[in-house]
Amino acid sequence: MATTTATITLTSSDISDNNVSITNLNFLNKAGSTTGLDKTSGLRRRTLTATTSVDLIQLDHFQETGEVITENKAAKVYIKNLGTSTAEHVKVCIGQEDASADTEEIGRLYGGDWMFFPWAAVWTSADHNDNEDIYVIPSSADSVTLEWIVIYE
Amino acid sequence: MATTTATITLGSADLLSDNLSLSSTTTLYDAGTTTGLTQYEMGKVVVPSSDTPSILIDATAAGDDKAARVYVANKNTDETHYVVISMNGTTIGRLYSGDWMFIPWSQTDVSADVEIYCPAALSTTCEVEYVVFHQGKTFTAA
Repeated sequence: MATTTATITLTSSDISDNNVSITNLNFLNKAGSTTGLDKTSGLRRRTLTATTSVDLIQLDHFQETGEVITENKAAKVYIKNLGTSTAEHVKVCIGQEDASADTEEIGRLYGGDWMFFPWAAVWTSADHNDNEDIYVIPSSADSVTLEWIVIYE
Repeated sequence: MATTTATITLGSADLLSDNLSLSSTTTLYDAGTTTGLTQYEMGKVVVPSSDTPSILIDATAAGDDKAARVYVANKNTDETHYVVISMNGTTIGRLYSGDWMFIPWSQTDVSADVEIYCPAALSTTCEVEYVVFHQGKTFTAA
């Protein structure tokens, strides 16, 4: 078992009369247990240079390499836009490919933005069009690099 | 304009053969600008035991394609308790006790709510804290 922690700090001294200060530390454990998650994709980078949809985190990849992400457990995903442009963004979507009706845009990562979320990682078939992959769509063809990691069981 | 920052620190001494030590801070801006977000709402709710998703944070037209950020944390302490987070009917994942998430939120349409349920099979409720930082919302007439 491994011990991995994720800590978030949200702060603002001027968004309201009183300070906003939230800190939360979490141990990344397996579903329903106090045993730490012990598998990871490792920290990865991918550079995008077009405005087309890209299957950033493809469940089939993990299936094919034998490193299956068990669905509906406690997997966590971190993604960061390493760009510096606050005008351009990368849409992050979950679901099936090609912006089908079953794909949901979660949000947009502008330069410097990051996100961290639990991932159900529902794998349906070897046709990755059927799986709940993580897709990204840049707003510009300018080069942008994303950094990401999956920690899972 | 306000200055609000979100910092993540992700660390492990034994997940890999070498230390994992990652830290990142971002400033929460309005979409496409360097103007800080100026509005937020926060709360703590007890999510009832049910297999039917409910709206935790309501998407509105004024937030469409803007730069909202959402933080959600499951404050239960029993490690078997979890809530399921979804958006527009698409499951994102499970937040187990102590887990938190922080995401940008596009609100691509008024159905893109942040939804939640605490499965009936757990026979419990779940305490959840949340914050949404946003650029504005559509008010509903009384």
